[in-house]
Order: sequence, then C-alpha cells, then structure tokens
Amino acid sequence: MTTYLIRRVLGIIPVLLGVTFMVFAINRIVPSNPAVAILGDKGTVESQRQLAEELGLNKPVFFDVEGYRSSGRFGRLFDSQYFTYMGELLTGNLGKSFMTRAPVTDSLKVRFPATMELAIFSIIIGSVLGIVLGVVAALRRGTWVDTGMLFIAVSGVSFPVFWTAIVLIYLFSVQLGWFPPAGRLNVTSTLQPVTGLFVIDTLLRGQYKMFLDSLHHLVLPAFALGTHAMALIMRMTRSSMLDVLRRDYVRTASSKGVPPLVVVMKHAFRNALVPVITVMGLSFGSLLSGAILVEAIFNWPGVGSWIFNAITQRDYPVIQGGVLFVAAVFIVLNMLVDLSYVLIDPRIRY
Amino acid sequence: MKRVLLSLLVAFGLLGSALAQQPGSTLVVGMAILPNTIDSGDANDSNAIAVTRQIVERLVELAPGNEGLVPGLATSWEANADSTEWTFHLREGVKFHDGTPFDAQAVKFSLDRWNDPANPYHFGAEGKAYVGWRNLFGGFLGDGSAVSEVVVDDEYTVTLKLTRSISFVPSLLAGGYFGFDSPTAVMAAGANYGTPSVGSVGTGPYRFERWEEGSRVVLKANPEYRDGPPPTETVVFVGVSDPTARLAQLKAGALDIAAAISPSDLDSVLSDPNLELVRGEGGLNTSYLAMHQNQKPMDDVRVRQAVAYAIDRVAIVDAFYAGQAVAAEDIIPDSLWGHADAGAYPYDPAKASELLAEAGYPNGFDTELWYRNSGLEPVIAEAIASYLADVGIRAALKTEDWAAFLADYMAGNFPLYTLGWNADFADPDTFIYTFYGPQAVRRFGWNAPEVVTLTQEARQVPGQAERAALYAQVVTAAHDAMPMLPLAHQSQFFVVRKGVTGLVLNPLGAFPVLTGTSKAQ
Repeated sequence: MTTYLIRRVLGIIPVLLGVTFMVFAINRIVPSNPAVAILGDKGTVESQRQLAEELGLNKPVFFDVEGYRSSGRFGRLFDSQYFTYMGELLTGNLGKSFMTRAPVTDSLKVRFPATMELAIFSIIIGSVLGIVLGVVAALRRGTWVDTGMLFIAVSGVSFPVFWTAIVLIYLFSVQLGWFPPAGRLNVTSTLQPVTGLFVIDTLLRGQYKMFLDSLHHLVLPAFALGTHAMALIMRMTRSSMLDVLRRDYVRTASSKGVPPLVVVMKHAFRNALVPVITVMGLSFGSLLSGAILVEAIFNWPGVGSWIFNAITQRDYPVIQGGVLFVAAVFIVLNMLVDLSYVLIDPRIRY
Repeated sequence: MKRVLLSLLVAFGLLGSALAQQPGSTLVVGMAILPNTIDSGDANDSNAIAVTRQIVERLVELAPGNEGLVPGLATSWEANADSTEWTFHLREGVKFHDGTPFDAQAVKFSLDRWNDPANPYHFGAEGKAYVGWRNLFGGFLGDGSAVSEVVVDDEYTVTLKLTRSISFVPSLLAGGYFGFDSPTAVMAAGANYGTPSVGSVGTGPYRFERWEEGSRVVLKANPEYRDGPPPTETVVFVGVSDPTARLAQLKAGALDIAAAISPSDLDSVLSDPNLELVRGEGGLNTSYLAMHQNQKPMDDVRVRQAVAYAIDRVAIVDAFYAGQAVAAEDIIPDSLWGHADAGAYPYDPAKASELLAEAGYPNGFDTELWYRNSGLEPVIAEAIASYLADVGIRAALKTEDWAAFLADYMAGNFPLYTLGWNADFADPDTFIYTFYGPQAVRRFGWNAPEVVTLTQEARQVPGQAERAALYAQVVTAAHDAMPMLPLAHQSQFFVVRKGVTGLVLNPLGAFPVLTGTSKAQ
C-alpha cells in the first residue's frame, strides 16, 4: 500500500509537467494574443508590439535557439517564456494576471474554495438523489417506477446545464421567490474568509444567520450543476445493484433468512458502490467544467468563470495557473477514488 | 458638479430630496463583467469606467443628458490662439477621499503619470497600458503624444502644453478615462493601484470600500462630497456575463440596474410590471459593415457601392432594434455636427446588380461575412447576408471569439465584417479620426492620404464651423469610396427595477455617475 501510494504520488509530477507544456502550447496556437486583447480595437501595430514586449511575450515560447546560436551559451537556450514560467512556478509563483495585475495565487485562494463549495454541494445533491433513486429503480425493476427514474436520468443528462440553470432561476427566483438567483451571500453581508468555504467560515465566525444565507444561495447553483452527475450516478447505481443482486452471496444471504432490508443495504448496496464511486469521482471532474456555465449564470466567483474570462481575454498567466490547478485537483481526486476502493471492497488490495 | 446635482434636483423635484440621505440604502448594478482595473487612467472598457466614474472625477464633465460640457474639477478653461496651450482653473477646497488636497500638483501628477513612460508611477513594465491616453492623445511622451509638458502655474491653475494644436482638449478630458487619483494613494500602492486589494482613491461622490474578487465591487457614499453625500449609501457592482442571466437576476430583484441588455429582450422587459426602461437621447455610437480593400473583389469601388445599395438599413433597424435605433445616414451620429449633404445610399437592389455587372460580376461572387457572436450582431449579419444574396453576393457567415476577431480584422483578413463603435468623447473626431484617419488603411485597406490629411487638419483648426466644413469633405469622400457602410445609431438605455429614480444617461453610453440615483425602499 505504501509503495503504491508513493508510486502514485510520484506519477503526478510528469502528468503535471505535461499539463504545463500543453497549456503553454495551446495558448500560443490559439489565434490572437494578450497585447491585442488588452489594447482592444484602439490598438495600433506599434502599441501592440510595445505591450507584448512589456509583458515578456517577445521571448521565444519554448527554446531560444537564436539566442543560443548567436551567443554560444547553452543557458540562453532556456531564456524562453516557458522556462521563465517554470522557474517561477518552482518557487510557487504563478505570476500576475495580465488584465487585473492581481497575483494568480491570490485569486486562486478566493476562486478555488468557491468552486469547491459549489462542487461539493453539487456532488452531495447528485449522489444522494442519484443513489437513492438508483437503488429504488433497481429494486422496482421493470415497473413504472423504474421507467420514471429512467425519464429523470435521461432529462438530467440531456438538458444542458445552462438551460437548467436559467429555468431554475425563472421558476424558483423570479416566479416563486424562494431562492436567491445569484451570488454567495446577500449583497450587503460581509464575511472575512478563513477557509474560503462560506458554509464553514460563517460558522467559524459565529454568523449563524449568514450560514443559513450561504446555504440558501447554494441551493439553485448546486442543483443546476448536480443534475448531470445525479443522472449518471442513478444509472450506474441501478445497473450495479442489479448486477450484485444476482450474485450468489446475495441469494445465499436471502435464503439464510436475512431480512430483505439488511440484504439490500449490507450485502448488495455496499458491494454495488465500487463502480458508483468511480462515477462519482469522474463526475466531480466534469463538475469542474460544468461549473464554468453555472458560475457565469449565478454570478458565482469560482475558478470556472475565472478561467473562461481569461480565455476570452487571452490572459495567459490565469489560464496557465488555473488549468494547472484544476488538473492537479482532478488527478488527486482520481487517486483518492482509487484508494477508497480498499475501504469499500475488501477484495481489492494494492 | 453643482450644476449636475442642481439639474437633477430640478428634474426630480421633491422626490429627489425626499429620497436623499436614506441611511443604509443600497443599489445593485449588474454589468457584463467586473472591471479589470479601477485605476482610471488604465481602465479601458465600459465596465471598468462605470465603476471609476463614481470614484474619481474629471476636469470637465459631460452635461447630464446631452453632449455639452460642464465644469468638473476645473471651473473654467481657455486656450491660446492656436490651441497649443490649454489652461485649466481648478476648483478650490476639494479633497481626495484620503484627505490629500486636490490642486494643480495633483493634476500634474496624474497627467505626467499617464503621459510619460519614464515617470516612476507609470508602471508600463507592470502591464499598465493607458489605452485611453494612448489613443486619445496619440501616444506617450516622445512617441506621438500631443502633450509635451504639464505646467503648474499656481496652486489652482495648470496648463497643458501641446506639440500640435488640438481644438477639443476639454472634450477629450471629459471622456471616461481621465479621472484624477490621489497622488498619495498612487505612491503608496505603486503598481498595485487599482487592483482588487487596493482599489482607488478619488474626489467623487462614492469612495472605494472593497472589491471581492470575481464577485462584486462595493462603494460607499462619500460623506464629505462637496455637494452633499449622494442619496444612496452603498452601490454594489456585480458582473453577470450572460445577458439572459443578467435579465433573470434583474427580474428576480437581485439587481436594481442592468446594463447591456439587448434590444431583442425589450419585449420581455416591457411586459414585466416591475421593470422600467431608462432611455437616453441620441446615442453616440455607430454600427457598421466594413469592406476590406485588401480582399478581392472589395478593392473595386463599384462592388463596395453595390453592397451599400443592396442593403436595406431602415428595414434592418425596424426589424431588430425594437425602436431603440435609427438607420445611419453617415458615420457621425445625428446629434453631433459635421455631416455632409451626400446622405446615405438608398436601398436599390437593381442599381446594386447593375454596378456588379459593370464591375465584371454579373453572376455575383462568393465571399465571407464575419460577425461577433454577441447581442444583435448574429441576426443582423444574417439579414445582411440575405440582402447580399438577393443581388448574387454569396456571403458565408463566420464568427470567432473577440480576441481572435480583433487580431484578424486588424490584419485585414476579413473581406466583410460587422462591428460597432462607441464614442470615446463627445466630438465628431472620435468617429472621423478613428475610422477615416491614419487607421483607415488598417481597418478597411482604404489608402486615401488626402482624406487622412483632412482628418488631421480638422483636429487643429479651432472654430467649429471650419472643422464642420472639413468633416463634410471627409464624409463625402467616404460616401463615394465606401470603405464601410454605417448601419445604425442605437439609443442608450438601461433597465431598472421600478422605484429606481434619478438615473440620467449621457449619450456616450458610459454608465452615469450615480450622484442623484436612489431606490424607493
């Protein structure tokens, strides 16, 4: 187990290196550049060139072959945008946004917890509903209940998150007025962040009303974001349950006279969870991309809307830092998912 | 500023004073995106300027509701005979929010900071681009800037010395970019001035309170504002990039004022009893169809004229703008001066076909029409393509994201493209010089040195009548050469919740200063 863990952790490094390389390359392949985006349609060729130079974009992207040839010094080869960035990265510096001049790490400290809070609540809503409905569907296989669940699942997967979000706002905010349509807290509230997760920070600060307010604000975006995961988890739970319910040990347990509820919960459900956990882990990754839309619509200050704006403005440091961070989170999550199998299924050992 | 407030009070009678001074009142404003910076000289888009306008003030301000100029931080100004020296007499006794006195030194500090790349507070290497200054004053010191020196005459008098005559310096300074910051605050914050953690410090009716990253910018009423504190205690700016979501949030009451609502959503606004449309007259903007002469067959003037004859601008305006625009006669909006007698091309498809045949395209040709995927632009591009198809021009509709679009259209890669322009300041120069001046070659591949000379001359002659005559010549030349077809001028409007009063728009389309704006509680 320990060697497995070490191997997995070490394996993260080349993957992240690959990510930095990819993001760097893709940024430069995509047409346009930050100097053009910043200066807008008032920019002249000269001012664009000047600004590009000020931003350090006049250096070669990966290797300064010219500089090496002309100077003969091997070190000059690495006087490039990529290696300058990597050098800074090793000291923990992700650079500053070209647009806002704010350090990328400062923004991440605010943005990441916001997205995590949203994603965690989405996955909770998605998992609880998905698993319960999936188990019900499996137990009532072939009945109208099962068909109804299938309908919900198909809707959940096929309705675009964007559309679901807008419908939720019109229904629950505009028409019924039950939930706020935007933000993390009431506009007049201020909260000094501790962890950046408002649900926790409000409690730490003893602001109980604000705690309820933050939950209140979470409902619509978390539900909008969680529907897709819910549908996937529901279908996976159903098929996994059906598979397990047919197994010999379940039949044995039933024939021994174990009460049906115990058979379902202890013998079947627990073993059916392995593939479900996999789907949950993967869903969590896709939540991070679905978050781009949900955050934009609900005015949620997370990583998704941040990276999206950065892409439209060609804000390289933000795109690089943001994507690298999301990739790291995704990799770590996957690792945790793999490790969790050991806890759930005694047959799995590393 | 006093006049501004006075006229607001008159306009809203007792209501204004009754609503004034409500403690704890809050206005939430939904923009398309939060600012990139609130360092006013470096702020470059309408979303940032909406915020900076509340915090910092300019030497000269736009009169509420029209394109006239009124005193701002300067009470009066005058130029020498050839408009190469502009002297401003400053308002006395004004203090920045941090207590620093506003005087000629403070004005010089900001102007030098924007103008001189060698100034220790310019921070060009830190990425501050001062796009507004660069564009409106022609560049930086020693590299195209029209300002050669800023001279402090006495404590409350300052003179701008220019390298060439410019007759409309007060108009330039009334644009959104040139609000004056506290020198103390800039020196203390360095390159971080205007970022979320620091904010900015001005003399305006609102002071910076805090900026929650990605979430909102919060401003508080300035209790020491010289005309008395504004009626609303707290103003919160939020950024909602999706227009549908922005409208939904307004309908749900999460926003009090929403900017950048598309005319195509006006039906949904007007049918909602909780919402109201606040209109401004005569928007200083022009949407247009450009024809780039580097791309065949747009190099043939007959083809460009055929395109102009083929498109029914009036029908397009009627169909899509919900009554919030007029079809453009020329590039200059109707409320400004400088028009020519040439007028616009009438809708005449027969004439268009004739010109095409004459140019050697009796069966039309294939081309591309590029548009931005935002607001009304996609539907208008479709309409244009269908008008063009009627005369045999088969234009494939294409789009890409804004940053790529910018780079491509500036490189002359699009034969046809639609775009719009909002005035930077209330003077025909912002249209004429931007489009038919030295940039015409790049924007349209239109190489007409004699026209460029006219646009430069018009910047320098002092009298409006002489300038108008020069502009009329330029507009006529553009009418004949047809580098671009002006399509429409849109009125400014914002959508507010019922009960929000005192929002007076200016024709620049810039978000107004909320000096008299409040919400019935």
